[in-house]
Amino acid sequence: MNKNRFFSILVPFISVLLAFLVGCIIMAALGANPATALGALWKGAFGNTRNVGTTLSRATPLIFTSLCACFAYRCGVFNLGGEGQFLIGSVVCCYIATQSGIVGLPAIILCILCGGIAGGFWAAIPGLLKIYRGQNEMIISIMLNYVATLFMGVIYTNWLREGSVPQTMSVPDESKLSRLFGLRCTSAFVIAVVIGILVYYFLFYTSMGFQLRAVGLNMTASQFNGFAVKRYILFSFIISGVIAGVGGSAELLGTQFRLINGFGAGYGFDGVAMALIAQLHPLAAILVAIFFAALRVGSTTMQAATGVPTSVSEIIQALVIVFTVAGLAMVKLPEFKAALERIFSAGKEA
Amino acid sequence: MEEILRMEHITKRFGEFYANRDINLSVLKGEVHTLLGENGAGKSTLMNILFGLYQPSGGQIFLHGKPVAIDSPATAVKLGIGMVHQHFMLVEAMTVFENIILGDRNTKGIFIDRNARRKEILELSERYNLDVELDKPITEIAVGAQQRVEILKALYRGAELLVLDEPTAALTDIEVEGLFRIMKKLVGEGKSIIFISHKMREVMQISDRITILRAGETVRTVERGETTGEELAGLMIGRELAPSHYAKVTKPGAAVVSLHDVDYQKKSKHNGLNGVTLEVGRGEILGIAGVDGNGQSQLAQLVTGVIAPEGGSVDMKGSRVATFSPNGFILENVSHIPEDRNKMGLIGNMSVMENILLKETGDPRFSDAGGWHLKRKAMRTYAEQMQQKYDIRCTSVAQESRNLSGGNQQKVILARELENHPDLLVAVHPTRGLDIGATRFVHDTMISARDAGCGVLLISADFDEILEMSDRIIVIFEGKIMGEYPGSNPPIDQISLAMAGK
Amino acid sequence: MDMNFVTNLLLASVRMATPLIFISLAELYSQRAGLTNIGLEGLATIGSLAGFMVSLLTGSPMLGVLAGLLAGILVNMIFAYATISLCAEQIVYGMAINIFAPALAAFVYRVYFGSGSELVQVKLMNTLSSSVGITPSNFFARLLLDQTFMVYLAYALVVFTAIYFNRTKSGLNYKAVGEYPKAAATLGIDVIRTKYLASIICGALAGMGGAYLTTCYTTTYVDGNVAGRGFIALAAVIFGRWSAGGVLLACLFFGFCDALQIRLQVMSFGLPYQFFQMIPYVATVLVLALIGMKKAGPKSCGKPYRREER
Repeated sequence: MNKNRFFSILVPFISVLLAFLVGCIIMAALGANPATALGALWKGAFGNTRNVGTTLSRATPLIFTSLCACFAYRCGVFNLGGEGQFLIGSVVCCYIATQSGIVGLPAIILCILCGGIAGGFWAAIPGLLKIYRGQNEMIISIMLNYVATLFMGVIYTNWLREGSVPQTMSVPDESKLSRLFGLRCTSAFVIAVVIGILVYYFLFYTSMGFQLRAVGLNMTASQFNGFAVKRYILFSFIISGVIAGVGGSAELLGTQFRLINGFGAGYGFDGVAMALIAQLHPLAAILVAIFFAALRVGSTTMQAATGVPTSVSEIIQALVIVFTVAGLAMVKLPEFKAALERIFSAGKEA
Repeated sequence: MEEILRMEHITKRFGEFYANRDINLSVLKGEVHTLLGENGAGKSTLMNILFGLYQPSGGQIFLHGKPVAIDSPATAVKLGIGMVHQHFMLVEAMTVFENIILGDRNTKGIFIDRNARRKEILELSERYNLDVELDKPITEIAVGAQQRVEILKALYRGAELLVLDEPTAALTDIEVEGLFRIMKKLVGEGKSIIFISHKMREVMQISDRITILRAGETVRTVERGETTGEELAGLMIGRELAPSHYAKVTKPGAAVVSLHDVDYQKKSKHNGLNGVTLEVGRGEILGIAGVDGNGQSQLAQLVTGVIAPEGGSVDMKGSRVATFSPNGFILENVSHIPEDRNKMGLIGNMSVMENILLKETGDPRFSDAGGWHLKRKAMRTYAEQMQQKYDIRCTSVAQESRNLSGGNQQKVILARELENHPDLLVAVHPTRGLDIGATRFVHDTMISARDAGCGVLLISADFDEILEMSDRIIVIFEGKIMGEYPGSNPPIDQISLAMAGK
Repeated sequence: MDMNFVTNLLLASVRMATPLIFISLAELYSQRAGLTNIGLEGLATIGSLAGFMVSLLTGSPMLGVLAGLLAGILVNMIFAYATISLCAEQIVYGMAINIFAPALAAFVYRVYFGSGSELVQVKLMNTLSSSVGITPSNFFARLLLDQTFMVYLAYALVVFTAIYFNRTKSGLNYKAVGEYPKAAATLGIDVIRTKYLASIICGALAGMGGAYLTTCYTTTYVDGNVAGRGFIALAAVIFGRWSAGGVLLACLFFGFCDALQIRLQVMSFGLPYQFFQMIPYVATVLVLALIGMKKAGPKSCGKPYRREER
């Protein structure tokens, strides 16, 4: 393994350690014993099979949004609209699941399919505007997040509202995704992992995936070498939107069952963060998502056991991204490489 | 005469590589001192050290006999050193005036006193015959004028010693004459000039003394009167290089590509084509000569399908081209060595293997199921064969192509573009920035492609390259074709006049 | 629609445009030095919280604004160090700030106020007229006098910025750093210092823009109260063609959209209120779609600058 590769794999791990170190200092400052708190965190996330199931269930939507981010970035476009695409997917899914009258497996397939299409459609908007108007896809996709969130609001406060609480009616029991081994984790997790593997295969083992990555790394050279750059950009937007849309549907059918205020909130940016920590590697993204989910699930146990607020885990997650991105930049600096060489050559002489 | 600058034992290391090793240079007041050397001989590194852009790993610089430490360009400017970089350091979004006063520290006050500054600049420009239009944006003035702005900029900062880094590279012969007049005027007024070049003719015309650099070391300093162009060339290259001589083809085969009256943004002087008609036959090299920025880029992009003509028509192997796309031209078996290999040719973050196979991954040799499963092993084996055949020096074919030297990067492109026996090869500045060995390799490869029946369109701003390689020569100026000349015994004077638009 | 509706709408537009002006100017200063900072949303969030907490603790909205300014600078120094000194990708690091800063704000809020849901409220900044003690009646008097200090400051900053970039030597040098840092360096301009300076200004202005929301606009802090203004500000800089005056007009337009949606919500027209809330976001998309890409801003934006390149 060459040195560059080694460091880019090492950086996220060091970042996690550093983030935890800062987290421990915060915990200590709040008067808790960091060791106890971390113990509780671990137990809450992976202590028994039930907790593992909960962790995987929390990881599922995060896997979808981080794959969504990965796929678009591999083609060099910043799709920050994962959340909007996720929500639009879940809205369409909710509509079909509760209104079509179809139930059971056909409903599940139809819902997920339509949710994916809706997500792809939502992602096509920034894609088309980028291609035809040269516009900044980041701003547009973020604006569409807000629109999607508000549109979901229309659904649960108005159009599909059930009762006095602002939430939609629940999807029928027959249309819910089945649980795995009686745990909270459902077949949605399996779908997520399968999509992750497919994305990995596509990017690294097909000609089209290869060309898509080439477009992402150097658009001009790709154009000169005959690749349909614009088509790849639109394609990557749509597929990334489809992944998010499927994620939104799976989350609705597998975990939440109804749309409610806060559904999917923050998943888009979380997905971006995870994709960056995973350095756009789809399989690594799955692991990072599970790690993030573990922090979230475990932090509840931690709060109950030690009184450390759950938001400490959010700080740790945020620090991981802050450290990782800075660290990855640092190991690429010529100064860093030179310093490294000095250290190694000094070691050899000694 | 007084010595204004002395650089002693200057050494600059980048990792293991010595860009400069123990270099000595002395410049007198009122002289034009030429630094002569090949690409990569260390001229630019030395000048960047003088200008405070690089810090030397060893050695000492003296100005007026006093040791100085030049830690930044600001210090260099303060010490009276002015530099005109080969790639102009002009802010395109600003006007000539703004560029000249930029970074000014000599005047007091917060606001820009336009009238006072204008007066100062106009005085300078009159004194040295440096004609400029102060209120034009940089983008709207010609290359020669941009150069005058750069010189004026340095003088405005009180430069006593001017460094001109390959100032003639982008100029027409007429503009070069103008530049030389300005240089004479400057040294006449007591300024000193370090002139960097590798063009023997110009060096012999303008220099007082010449210092030759080779592979990062000083070879010798000579007086102009005591040497000849031939001797200088020998010192510069360091060995007797048998002049390459390629046999010229006089009877080309059938036309591969022909352009009829093609227009592209024809109002634009620098980036357009105006009524271009030409034809490249099988088994010949058509050289397009001209100063950079007269439509060559557009011509290259047009015959590779990157852009579409706005008027006229293009025939490819006898049939009219209806839609222009790079892919369409690639399917017609057109290959392209683009002008900027890093930006247009290679995916820097991909490996040598991936770059060699960039266009081939869908081919049954390298993937199954119509591109849905790559055969990684076959890809690697093929790439390794190409590495051997094209003598690509890399740690392995998995090395990222951006870490290769320019010559090896160009060989990666050759391996990709020539291995499939193209019908047409469009090569733009194919040896720019390469050392002599790599240049020779690129030229030999292109000649053998020609001899195998490939039509070659060679676009180059290097006149010597055009003369050496071309079977026919066409001169382009401001998007128009100025004339066509035979490749054997070409009328050199006529061609250089045509390149200047005469 | 009566006259009152129109005047109120216009007055509200000015108020709603103010935070955008601060945040957009923050981006303008950043991009003029070649730093594309998409972390504005995060900076404004932390500024908003700092403004809220300090004005709660001290009872002074002015000190709140100052705290927002400082908090913005502090957080943006992380961005500055990573992108200027470590040459991290600006877009990516801006995203990191967008994730980090709101998490930090949420954490500080939770730790300080507990997770209870009781609403903590602060006193808002006085308008000029009420602090002098007059009640202006006609539209122009209200427009000129019925504003908080922050509004006047915002317009003063616009004028200052326009003069700075167009008339001063320092402003010219600053712009050169964003256009062509290498050329700037050869003229003795300290590129790295200018970029850090730009980051300080950017952090300060974005923090103040955030603080405006909790010291002049609403009396309380809630997560997500910046509501995309950081991103709308990015659009305003593009729409305003990187000039102070243009940015001002763009912000007034987006402020108008915001004011309009609030007023339309009240009138309802039988539509769910969320459709009106969409107006500023949809307007941003439409504006970007319409203007297309005529000019792409300072040339070196997004590119790292290394001193000794090789």
